[in-house]
Amino acid sequence: MEGMVISVSHLSKYYKVHKKEPGFLGSMRSLVHRQYETVKAVDDVSFVIDEGELVGFIGPNGAGKTTTLKCLSGLLYPTAGRVSVLDFTPFDRKTAFLKQIALVMGQKNQLWWDLPAMETFLLNKEIYEIPDDVYKKALSELVDLLEVEQILKVQVRKLSLGERMKMELIAALIHAPKVLFLDEPTIGLDVVMQKKMRDFIRAYNELHRSTILLTSHYMEDVRQLAKRVIIIDHGEILYDGKLDQLVKKFAKYKVLSVILETYVPPDKLKEIGELTDYDFPRAVIRVPRSASNVAAAQILQKFPVDDLNIEEPDIEDIIRDVFSQGK
Amino acid sequence: MKTYFQIIKNTWAEMMMYRLNFVLWRVRWVVQRLVVYFLWWAIFANRQEIFGYSQSMILTYVLLGSIVGTFVLGTTTMDIGGVINQGNLSNFLIRPVDFFRYYLARDIGDKLLNVVFAVVEIAILVLLLRPPVFVESNIWYILLSVVAVGIGALLYFFFSLLLGFFGFWSSDVWSPRFLSMVIMEFFAGGLFPLDILPKPLFAFARSLPFFYFIYFPIKVYLGQLSVISVVQGLATGLVWVGGLWYIAVLVWKKGLRVYTAEGK
Repeated sequence: MEGMVISVSHLSKYYKVHKKEPGFLGSMRSLVHRQYETVKAVDDVSFVIDEGELVGFIGPNGAGKTTTLKCLSGLLYPTAGRVSVLDFTPFDRKTAFLKQIALVMGQKNQLWWDLPAMETFLLNKEIYEIPDDVYKKALSELVDLLEVEQILKVQVRKLSLGERMKMELIAALIHAPKVLFLDEPTIGLDVVMQKKMRDFIRAYNELHRSTILLTSHYMEDVRQLAKRVIIIDHGEILYDGKLDQLVKKFAKYKVLSVILETYVPPDKLKEIGELTDYDFPRAVIRVPRSASNVAAAQILQKFPVDDLNIEEPDIEDIIRDVFSQGK
Repeated sequence: MKTYFQIIKNTWAEMMMYRLNFVLWRVRWVVQRLVVYFLWWAIFANRQEIFGYSQSMILTYVLLGSIVGTFVLGTTTMDIGGVINQGNLSNFLIRPVDFFRYYLARDIGDKLLNVVFAVVEIAILVLLLRPPVFVESNIWYILLSVVAVGIGALLYFFFSLLLGFFGFWSSDVWSPRFLSMVIMEFFAGGLFPLDILPKPLFAFARSLPFFYFIYFPIKVYLGQLSVISVVQGLATGLVWVGGLWYIAVLVWKKGLRVYTAEGK
């Protein structure tokens, strides 16, 4: 297929987890007789990602997002299935493959903790065999985008989490990878820094036409960055498609947001639909999608209304619904 | 090649970040050496020869042993078990860098710096204490002992890697290491020349790879071995290197298959 960069078919990754009862006796018993439990971290997952796409990978903790990313970047050996990235089998970890990808983990650092970040960049320059002029250009571009000129020579341990994350990004992107895996890049960052990080990822994607696969707990990351999302839970894909389609497909209700002029007992509001929030003067009522117009008319007729809005439900709510359906 | 220079450079810079730590480590080393030195000094107080060693031979053995020990046993691979367990190994795996060579370069950096200090320290001790030292006049013995030190260093490198690779299967990576350290301290010959041991024990020591860490290179330097035993020893050492290297690569490959890249 043309332009296809990542192809995953029937990927499964099972972990054998060693079960141990708590306490010393449990330890002794497990020495003699070990009990294992198989955990299906990823179970028969298939998808394809084209060049230049920025795809958001969402799911709760332990859904299998990170495991999938690790299989794609060659860290994990798949239990079953085929994975192809840039026509390479990731686990072979061929130099030509590794030179074209990068994995950034929000909770791991490759920077030398006791040295200025610059030293890690220089090491990566040699590891990736980047020519001097290319390196200089790439570095100054990244340093400008992330505004870190002044802290390049500061010991990594003395940087704030946000600054360190920026340095991690530079170290990971200095070789201009074609495919970029971002695992929770904004974790632990404050709101301002999260936004900067998002702006950077978007700018980078546009500038280099690189393919980006991003996981995040923060819906805002995905909403702002990805047109396409893959929702995964319990190791299985629940949804793969456009973010706005997700709303249409899964939101079976609309949300009426009402500002009341005078107090109305909640019982009365419940006659219209499901009252999800009531904090006078504001009430939020969920109604079936098809009945939203009728319900709105009813409200206007029956109650003294100052303002009324018909809204799509929050993506986070929809996704929560998708997850609870999947169980 | 430039990659590995950069790794060595970074390793030095890292060590220099903790100067006090490094200095104290060196002080500890010197004190340990002094204890061994004076112990042997006392033993020779009213004797000319013990176990076939003259006083100057044994003191040379002890002083040289400290330099050889610093070089052969100086390593940064101690943390590999932790690197695997905490999932930081991922940072090596996603970059086109060879893990073995990366750590070898780090070790070379570490060894060189430590040896420079050890040589200076021993030189000062020799100047202060003025012990009778034996200076080898045969250039061949000197060269061959350098080769033997190289073999010992490689041997220990692969041995230590293997201990680190326990991390793929167990989070308890320190107990095998501690156990091996206890055995190694004794059988590497850093405290005394192994051939003063009873014959059966010496034969046992000789069958271990630790034999080639300190004892063997110094014996070569002292010129106490026949040419045949030197060649034999070097060959056996090389076979050990090849064997451990092979096993290390095998275990590494197996380990990567079960590696879960977990951790915080």
